[in-house]
Amino acid sequence: MDLSEPSLERLRLKLRYKVLYHVGHGCADVDDLVQESLARFIRAEQKQQIRNTEEFGAFLNGVCRNVILEYRRRMRREPNLDQDMPIPDAGIRPEAEILEMRDAIDSGLAELAERDRAILRALYLEGKEKDEICREWNMSDSQFRVVLFRAKERFRRAYGNR
Amino acid sequence: MNCKMEPIQREQIIAKYLSRSLDADAVEEFEGHYLGCDECFDELRVSEILAADLRSSSLTPSNLAWKSTGGVSVLRFRASAELTHAANTLDELRREVLEQADSRVIIDLGRVTRIDSAGLGQLMSCYSHLVRNQGSLKVLNPTPEIRKLLDMTGISTLIPAFNDEQDAVKSFTN
Repeated sequence: MDLSEPSLERLRLKLRYKVLYHVGHGCADVDDLVQESLARFIRAEQKQQIRNTEEFGAFLNGVCRNVILEYRRRMRREPNLDQDMPIPDAGIRPEAEILEMRDAIDSGLAELAERDRAILRALYLEGKEKDEICREWNMSDSQFRVVLFRAKERFRRAYGNR
Repeated sequence: MNCKMEPIQREQIIAKYLSRSLDADAVEEFEGHYLGCDECFDELRVSEILAADLRSSSLTPSNLAWKSTGGVSVLRFRASAELTHAANTLDELRREVLEQADSRVIIDLGRVTRIDSAGLGQLMSCYSHLVRNQGSLKVLNPTPEIRKLLDMTGISTLIPAFNDEQDAVKSFTN
């Protein structure tokens, strides 16, 4: 298995994404959880405990899930000392990385027609099914595909230029 | 999950993952896949940027505020609100509960004037998420009408209602 520094960096990025998804952006221990997951994964790999290295993602996912569960149990036993401290307003929490791309993103979104935006909102924010959206907007599968991939291509460019 | 699947099908999984409407098993499967697949992870990131931007372009000032008391997170409404099918507050509430770290949560319903089946469904969805993460959900200060609705539907057996914040906080340790 490739455990070179660039590969580990990539795994770290993905683990950070998963951990943030489960513990939220307000958690101060995200990096520790990522590091612990990665350390356990590397130890398992060195001991040749990963049977199917082609499917290592599932193994790493299990390791990370256990680290998060252990963290939750620990937090329950030892809650924060400063218990009455207000949690920073949770209204808007864009990731710093997304903020950095703001200019590129803004131009991407500005190019989208309002109808396309409404269709994308239905898919990404309202969790609607493709068939339901097509029915609502009276569009075919291929029209939906064009709206989706045209929008994604704009944002892919913003992501690629990062 | 398989990155060789139809692109729209994959995009639907990504969209549901981002809007947190995938069930727990599907989340596990998807995460196990993208941790080992650069292509799908990049697609997820691009879609996340797209979704974040759609969200920020349609954002109104949040009506929700958090505070932490006794190791429990309390979510309050800043102004009167309705938890109904037509209200934007529903999505906001779900996102707030699902995106924060603590799995022991109290929702203060003191300023909620009306709740319908969609609102009750959203409360149950928050409850399921918190229980899956070894936590729990309680509600505070429901109006008599909402309390009656919670009792009638049996939801109050899963999500107990309290009129005193300290009692609600203590109930997590009992």
